[in-house]
Amino acid sequence: MKRCSLDHLALAVLLAVLCVLPFTVTGYVLYVVNLLMVFAVLSLGMHIVIGEAGQFALSHTAFYGIGIYTAGILNAAWHPPFFVSILAGGVIAAILGYVIGFLALRMRDIYLALATFAFGEAMQWVFLNWESVTGGSNGMQMQPARLFGLRLTNDLQAYPFVVGIAALMLWITVWLSRSQYGSALRAVRESDVAAMAMGINARAMKQSAFVISAAFAGIAGGMYTLFVSFIHPDSLGFQTTILVLTMVVVGGLGSVRGAIAGALVLGVISEVLRQAQSAQEIIYGLILLGFMMFKPRGLFSGTGKRGAKPRASADAVATTGRSAAP
Amino acid sequence: MSLGDIWLFLQQGLLSGLVTGSVYALLALAIVAVFKTTDVPNFAQGEMLMMAGYVALSLLLLARLPYVAVILITLVVMSLGGALFQRVVMERVTGSRGVGVQLVITTLGLAYLLRGLVRQTGLGDTPRSLPSLVSGDTVAIGEAVLTKLDIAIFVTAVVVMLLIYFMFTYTRIGKAMRAVGMNPRAAQIVGIRLSRIRMMVWAMAGLISAIAALLITPKILITPDIANIAILAYAAAIVGGFTSLPGAVVGGLLIGVVENMVGLFISTNAIVVAPFLAILVTLILRPQGLFGGKVQVKKV
Repeated sequence: MKRCSLDHLALAVLLAVLCVLPFTVTGYVLYVVNLLMVFAVLSLGMHIVIGEAGQFALSHTAFYGIGIYTAGILNAAWHPPFFVSILAGGVIAAILGYVIGFLALRMRDIYLALATFAFGEAMQWVFLNWESVTGGSNGMQMQPARLFGLRLTNDLQAYPFVVGIAALMLWITVWLSRSQYGSALRAVRESDVAAMAMGINARAMKQSAFVISAAFAGIAGGMYTLFVSFIHPDSLGFQTTILVLTMVVVGGLGSVRGAIAGALVLGVISEVLRQAQSAQEIIYGLILLGFMMFKPRGLFSGTGKRGAKPRASADAVATTGRSAAP
Repeated sequence: MSLGDIWLFLQQGLLSGLVTGSVYALLALAIVAVFKTTDVPNFAQGEMLMMAGYVALSLLLLARLPYVAVILITLVVMSLGGALFQRVVMERVTGSRGVGVQLVITTLGLAYLLRGLVRQTGLGDTPRSLPSLVSGDTVAIGEAVLTKLDIAIFVTAVVVMLLIYFMFTYTRIGKAMRAVGMNPRAAQIVGIRLSRIRMMVWAMAGLISAIAALLITPKILITPDIANIAILAYAAAIVGGFTSLPGAVVGGLLIGVVENMVGLFISTNAIVVAPFLAILVTLILRPQGLFGGKVQVKKV
């Protein structure tokens, strides 16, 4: 069976489930689904910078937090229609992403990972200590988002908008990945020297992928403010970055459907494990170790044996990216 | 703040900084040694330290062994644990063409697992310290005041560093480790068994974690959060160049001193963010670190 039609089928099923859900389940389940949508957008953003452009950046949560605080503060101050505050969060995250990318992208691999990791931790410190803006360690109570007189006060009201934005971001990701720009990113991922020889501005490619990824994270932060009314810096630490990174890698590095599947699967797992506090870390650690040992290329790792050979697998990842849903 | 105060703070910051810095330097050595020989950035170094602390604690509290036996068993258990992790897990991940992302996630998995195991035992609920072999009497050096414990920590750490230096310079195993770090394929050709050397490096990382834990825990309380010390070790490794063993030592001492100075002169609140700023500044201004040598351009 063709991969593409399978994707359409999966997407149709997902859509059907999402349509039926609000009429059948309780508020908690809707909250979880909303959260999964936010995670999906986060992991799409990380997919762009790590999966497509091959840049190992670990600052995703920082931009997510910036999106949350920007949207939250705008909502409280001016009550704009919520898409304005979400966009503002995306734009501010993108601007900061540009600056950080400008400084950090001269580095490669582990150095880039460490620099962005340090930036992420420093941002968490800022969230925790800039008390006049973020409320510091008391957290910040957020006003309900508004849309022309409509106030989003519960999960059900936010649900259609959250799902809609997630769908839009998925469409943008697939569109980017199928465009010439996406091919250029993958060329840079495979070898920036070879890409430059073909006339691709590798530096600008990495930079733009980093900025887009930051914008995605900022928008995911804005989505979060639609259905949650409280934010505390504790939830904006490195472990959130790890969670999103795991989603992308467990799903299958370099594949859009992997990023989505990883977000859904691990999002559910992390929410279920929240109930079993004591065993949470052990199970999570075992999942990570198990996947890396026995299925290092994730759930959607291209097809068949081609994944085994280094060069061929790169092609496989590239083609997976191209034929990705929908 | 008068001039006399500043002079006093400088002395105190320098000496206290060297003491804590020597422990960071040990951990940074472990991180760098593992990274050089196996290409794995070990994000679980802090958890290994924490685990060592809790192994010692549980031997002391539950098995009620004498302290000397506790120390020896902790050292052995941590070395074996490190070697086992490399043999069972890392070997497999690197074997299946693990790239950076996979390697990092694997060590993060180990970090989660160790944290979870410690929490599961319930030992982490009440913070405790290990007993100290040295009295807590104070000694004045210049105008600064240290405890005898501080001096013992510093001296032991320096001795361990010297031993590591001699191992790398004069023993066959040490030379083999360096060879693997320079060029694994060439090392294999001259008859070095890669998997054995890598196991030994991880065993060494476990051993160093155990030593560091035994040194620092009489001074500070053991909690699961003790793992966060590794961030300072990471900063130390980066300042030193991440692939340089002497760099790791210098970086560790430097980070220790800077941390203490920041605490004395600016505020204790700023201590938390100091290592990240050190990482960022180093990577932006001098990505190769103090001792990293030239940045190498990768050929296609």
